[in-house]
Amino acid sequence: MATTTATITLSSTDLLSDEIALTTTATLTSAGNSTGLTGTSGLGRKTTSSASQYILFDADDYPSGPAKAHKIYLKNTSTSAGEFFTIAHNAEEIGRLYAGDWAFFPWSNHDGAADIKITPSVSSSITLEYMLLTD
Amino acid sequence: MATTTAAVTLTSDLLSDNISVTTDTTCMKGGTTADGLDQMDMGYIEIATGTNFDLLDSNNSGLNNNKANKVYISNESTDETYYAEITIDATVIGRLYAGDWMFIPWGAEDATADIEIRAYGGTNKITYAYFHEGRTLVSA
Repeated sequence: MATTTATITLSSTDLLSDEIALTTTATLTSAGNSTGLTGTSGLGRKTTSSASQYILFDADDYPSGPAKAHKIYLKNTSTSAGEFFTIAHNAEEIGRLYAGDWAFFPWSNHDGAADIKITPSVSSSITLEYMLLTD
Repeated sequence: MATTTAAVTLTSDLLSDNISVTTDTTCMKGGTTADGLDQMDMGYIEIATGTNFDLLDSNNSGLNNNKANKVYISNESTDETYYAEITIDATVIGRLYAGDWMFIPWGAEDATADIEIRAYGGTNKITYAYFHEGRTLVSA
């Protein structure tokens, strides 16, 4: 069985008067059991050249249904502070991924419309790094 | 300026070559490299099954709308059949199974873009943190 882990560390020494130091590791498993996730897109890159909305992950392309434990990793590789991708799940905006920021979240492709979409803030070249881990 | 760093490491032996992805970001206010997110809320709650709750309320004050807010949610439950369903507005984003965590930018683009949570399987134990530029307190 493959073993996939995701570790996050949140740290700050000056946001509060006490230090923030939070580390959590998840071993990524299939929905409702302890079997490791079995699929991945591998690490990829998408460079956009217009401010149109793009489908990054099409819900129809992966094992579907609400009872899945897919995970998505995204990183905006831009170094221009004002450049961001708006991340959406179908028609619902999740948030803005600014230059250098990353995100990691579960994906429920519960129906064919539940695509993960990205909209660059600029029409010039901007690159998103991504990886999908599938159940 | 407050400096808050979020780092992630992904490792796997799923492929014939090992996956090892590491990156970090300093959590800045939207569109700047000069000013870090300087306000936060953090908590731990136990959520019973049966109701969809607002974990984070998207007030439409303009303080946090369409900014670079960051949200961390971790399901500290240990029973692998337990999960918390995460919804923004009326859209189910995904299921956070026992032991899983997530870290997302939150647009909070309008008053209905709340981050909602519903527990399944049993009472789920949830840790969360919200880094932001400000929020409006509810009048007493």
